[in-house]
Amino acid sequence: MSRNLARLHSSDEVSVTVLVSIGKHPVTGRLRRADQDARALEMALGLSDSEPRVIYAGPLNDSTEPALRGYLGMGVSELKVLRQSEQNDIVPALSGFLDNSPSSLILCGSRAELGESSGLVPYQLADALGYTLVSNVAVIEEVTATLAVVLQALPRGQRRRIEVVLPAILAVDTASPVARQVAYAKASRGFINCVVTDAAEDDATEQWHYQPARKRPKRLKIIKATSARDRFKAAAAKAEGTGGQVLTSVSAEEGAVAILKVLKEEGVLKT
Amino acid sequence: MNDIKRRDPRSEWILRNRLHPEHSTYALTHATGIMSEWIGPTGVKRKNPHLVGFIGPSGLRRIDRSGLQSSQQTSVKVQVDIDSRRFIQINAPSDYIVVVPELPGGRFSAQDKDLFGLAQQLASKHSETTAVLGVILSPLKDTALGEIGMDRVYFADASEFSDYDPEAHLQQLTAIEREFNPLYWLFPEQTSISADLGRRLSVKLKVRATSNVWQLDLDTLIATCRASGGTSDLYRPVSRVILALAECAEPVSDTRHEAKPIDQAINAVDVIKRIRNLGAVSVDPAKVALSEAEFILSGGKGIANWDAFHELARRLGATEGASRVAVDDGHMPRDRQVGATGTWVTARVYLAIGISGAIQHLQGIQACDKVIAINTDPGCDMIKRADLAVIVDSSELIQSMLDQLQQRQEEVQNVA
Amino acid sequence: MLTSLMPWLLAVAILLAVVGALRRARLWLRGRASNVNVWAGIRAMPKRYLVDLHHVVERDRYISNTHVATAGGFVLASVLAILLHGFAWESKLLAWLLLAASGAMLIGAVRVAKRRQSPPDRLSKGAWMRLPKSLMVFAISFLILSLPAVGLLPEGFGGVVLAALLTAGIVWGLAEMFIGMTWGGPMKHAFAGALHLAFHRRSERFGGGRSTGLKALNFDDAQAPLGVEKPTDFTWNQLLGFDACVQCGRCEAVCPAFAAGQPLNPKKLIQDMVVGLAGGSDASYSGSPYPGKPLGEHKGGPFQAIVAREGKGLLDADTLWACTTCRACVEECPMMIEHVDAIVDMRRHLTLERGQTPNKGAEVLENLIATDNPGGFNPGSRMNWAADLNLPILADVKRTDVLLWLGDGAFDMRNQRTLRAFIKVLRSAGVQFAVLGNEERDSGDVARRLGDEATFQHLAKLNIHTLQQYSFRSIVTCDPHSFHVLKNEYPELGGEYVVYHHTTFMERLYRDKQLSLKDWVGGRVTYHDPCYLGRYNGEYDAPRQLLDALGIDRVEMTRSGFRSRCCGGGGGAPITDIPGKQRIPDMRMDDIKASGANVVAVGCPQCTAMLEGVVEPRPQVLDIAELVAQSLIEEETRA
Repeated sequence: MSRNLARLHSSDEVSVTVLVSIGKHPVTGRLRRADQDARALEMALGLSDSEPRVIYAGPLNDSTEPALRGYLGMGVSELKVLRQSEQNDIVPALSGFLDNSPSSLILCGSRAELGESSGLVPYQLADALGYTLVSNVAVIEEVTATLAVVLQALPRGQRRRIEVVLPAILAVDTASPVARQVAYAKASRGFINCVVTDAAEDDATEQWHYQPARKRPKRLKIIKATSARDRFKAAAAKAEGTGGQVLTSVSAEEGAVAILKVLKEEGVLKT
Repeated sequence: MNDIKRRDPRSEWILRNRLHPEHSTYALTHATGIMSEWIGPTGVKRKNPHLVGFIGPSGLRRIDRSGLQSSQQTSVKVQVDIDSRRFIQINAPSDYIVVVPELPGGRFSAQDKDLFGLAQQLASKHSETTAVLGVILSPLKDTALGEIGMDRVYFADASEFSDYDPEAHLQQLTAIEREFNPLYWLFPEQTSISADLGRRLSVKLKVRATSNVWQLDLDTLIATCRASGGTSDLYRPVSRVILALAECAEPVSDTRHEAKPIDQAINAVDVIKRIRNLGAVSVDPAKVALSEAEFILSGGKGIANWDAFHELARRLGATEGASRVAVDDGHMPRDRQVGATGTWVTARVYLAIGISGAIQHLQGIQACDKVIAINTDPGCDMIKRADLAVIVDSSELIQSMLDQLQQRQEEVQNVA
Repeated sequence: MLTSLMPWLLAVAILLAVVGALRRARLWLRGRASNVNVWAGIRAMPKRYLVDLHHVVERDRYISNTHVATAGGFVLASVLAILLHGFAWESKLLAWLLLAASGAMLIGAVRVAKRRQSPPDRLSKGAWMRLPKSLMVFAISFLILSLPAVGLLPEGFGGVVLAALLTAGIVWGLAEMFIGMTWGGPMKHAFAGALHLAFHRRSERFGGGRSTGLKALNFDDAQAPLGVEKPTDFTWNQLLGFDACVQCGRCEAVCPAFAAGQPLNPKKLIQDMVVGLAGGSDASYSGSPYPGKPLGEHKGGPFQAIVAREGKGLLDADTLWACTTCRACVEECPMMIEHVDAIVDMRRHLTLERGQTPNKGAEVLENLIATDNPGGFNPGSRMNWAADLNLPILADVKRTDVLLWLGDGAFDMRNQRTLRAFIKVLRSAGVQFAVLGNEERDSGDVARRLGDEATFQHLAKLNIHTLQQYSFRSIVTCDPHSFHVLKNEYPELGGEYVVYHHTTFMERLYRDKQLSLKDWVGGRVTYHDPCYLGRYNGEYDAPRQLLDALGIDRVEMTRSGFRSRCCGGGGGAPITDIPGKQRIPDMRMDDIKASGANVVAVGCPQCTAMLEGVVEPRPQVLDIAELVAQSLIEEETRA
């Protein structure tokens, strides 16, 4: 998608906050900036020349710090950390902090790459703060002091335009523009600033346990066999469709007819 | 439909000729009121052996169970299949399980059907009188509600809502919660409307939603959820609000349900709306990111006339892609390159013209469902990969397709 | 009259020259500090000038003779003129010598003028077209001035007219040759060049040595800017080096990116740095511009960003990213200017400070950080291709003779064929070898060329740490890029190894009679020198000897050996992918086709990938390891 992001009018004092989390590389599991959160920050950086406030709630240690510095490497000078332990529920800390120093526009990724990945945090925050929430945001088109117009990502590259009253939380989708590169020097020079907040134990997770993801079984073709013969036939049948159909020595017209027929069958041809 | 009774001399002749090899089947379909198979009172299939089979060379009746003779009997069998599904009717439901389908384009998606399957499994596990209630929030085109697994159905006044109106929809759902206090709320996960609603509802009900469910153990009620951004599985007791992924359960197939509209009045509270749906944005297919596009028309070295290619893409409403060579030669911009070194695409239909199929290119289209290839070289790798391949000159074919599309368009206009 | 004027003229010229020299030196000294042994450099300078520089100039015989005559004549004439006319020594012998020197200089100047009659495109015009005339005026003036002194002409010949003409000529000559030398005329090359040779940042290059590894960036000071943003971020001797450029355009003539129409011209790049050093615009530059970029639009100054954050600076970023780091320009430069160092220094700024690596660059660097390979493959699947080969893993065997460094080609299906072939050769020769397996990481080559020094050093340190745990005699690799990095760039970070490229290693095996080879049949073969094996490491012979050992009908391309043309795959160029008018591998394939060969032998996975990417029909691309493996005489041990 094009990056025709709206710029804030300088007169409208819309303060932008980006909530970020720790990401995890899908192949190696190494910690890094989270993809959707980075996209949210990218969106915020495109909105105005003044720097957005970037907040992270969660554990801060030797393994998470380099990942967090990824956000600093995108060009923000400071990252606020609401330090929490791994077992804590981050929502009370975040809502408490944002209640005290509100922001009319909060951007964040749709779901985390660590832990439950439920995608509930933006909703819980919106509920706690009384903000409007829009999910799957792909583009912010316009922001005024009271309103934002955004494009929501729908499947297959389609978009829906939504007008939302501020203050609002926008959960950013992977259809939004890719986050800019991390500049090593900016990442290593930026400040990580710890803010003291309350911590709330997340007690719902007691009975939970995690395991490495199992490969989901491929759904088998269900055979609704009403007779023994059908069941036997289905069990003994050879796998179908080993090769495609090849039309040789046909005229261009016949070829075109055959192709258009398939396109029509697949439902991609609208006329 | 047609009142004029027409005679079929051939079938009459076969019916008269008892030695004709097809006599038995014709006799079967023409015999009035007599069926060779039916479902008995206990639900077991019954057969009349006198009406199946054929007269063998020795003059004895033969019943062939290999199925070679059965192809003529399909019309009868379809009838039997429909009848074989158990019809389930719940008169006074004691409990409810609510499913809020996504209904993309006004139709039930495969995932929606899977969710109703899961809901029915949960319902039958719970009690005989647990009903599955489908909540239809947007205009619906499909009609077969009972077959999907709805015992009850609630239609929100569709004229009042647009397809995306989360605040009003949430009020509807909370009203349903008040009225029915369902055992479970089921939402299709990773969809644009329902998954969002499910999360809103869970927050409103102060219930921690069980998200990204891909498996649910009905005995222990432990859900398997994709967590950590898809890299781990979380096993947890299921909560009242369930957001389930596609293929979380088998769809309903051997029962039929009543799909009776509920008669209670649902009084949703009005809210001041802070989200306004300004409608769908028409997205130029050419501007859709390659990785997201549903239908890609891809060109390679074999394209002689690029203007015609672009015209075809426009007319087909396809997103344009290109092979590396086409990009290197400057016919297409770099962001349109398909393949391992360009973009990995997920298109449902991939139409490749004049692309011979380098290994990197084929890697990039692994995820495509239907690949159609047009090439002059029948031995190239793209042809081997393709589901439909046409060995013909690409320029002629593009022109021919353009002509036919033009023709169709004119026909449509004439009709209208 | 002239006799009394001469000392003053000379004194003023020398004074002005000295002032100019000091001014110029101040410009250079704005650069960062550099660790140079000043006195050793000055002592070694004459030899560097007369031997090393002359070797390079001599690749063009005509101009080397011309240069000897002109430069030699000028230096001698100047010294003698100062003695005779400045200090008014009376010596017939010296006068004769001055006559001879200015005569030699005149001959040289005429030859320069001849070259300039229809100058090749690579030469700069402008002020450089004036130079032969100035040279001639200087030479003729002193020639005529010497004639009366040696008695060939009577004193006072020509009267006032000739005296006035001579005065004018000498003023012109002195202005161009003495004052112009330090105030920025074409003769600046002599002054800056001499000092550049003395204070060169790679003194190892002189006396037949080789120094091609990039220099490590120091990360100790977290606040110090990384890489080069503005001209003064270069070290002072780099700035001095830019000033030494004679604009001969030999670099331009060999640059693959320039030939492909990408927006890079090494000569213009160096001249832009000179513009930046003093401040100004490129409007007065008189050579070929960057393809597709008109002159006069770019300007800069010593303290302004070279690549502007907004608008136009001294040059555009795509100029820097078009470079394949093939080092052809450095190899050709008679002044031994280090273009590649400068380009990588500026890239370091763009990547590390700004995070602006173009196109796939950011993705590749992210992959290198997250998965230790540029493709983003699972590092645990590095050995999947060799599941059937039973390769001994160093973690199991702990010690071995030869460590086979696989490189990232292990993830590439084409390169796996090469690796298999080489392993077959190793086994046939009975070499005891092992691989690191999944412990191996990318060598860091691509990261470093893309300017991500941080990721390079990170990967390098991890690799060095891994290698420390095992004992082996030497490392052999099929990838010249890994070879170069392991051999030349790891030592600075504490990893010193004996490293061989697989062609060198196979050639040694053959010489030691450990390989029994039959003749390879398959047509005419030409050999494409990989930049990182040839120019970077000087290995031109072993691959050719191997081909000869296979009884191959070997033909050479016009551009081979140290003049080999790049395949376009180095320096991250396929990743940054700067568009041009044509593709570098296509041009190289044309070279190959012109040689009449139907097979091109290569020794680098990058070259293989780039050349095989050329649309068929084209000659077949085979790695030398594959050719050797096909020609092995297998011993029938099983029977």
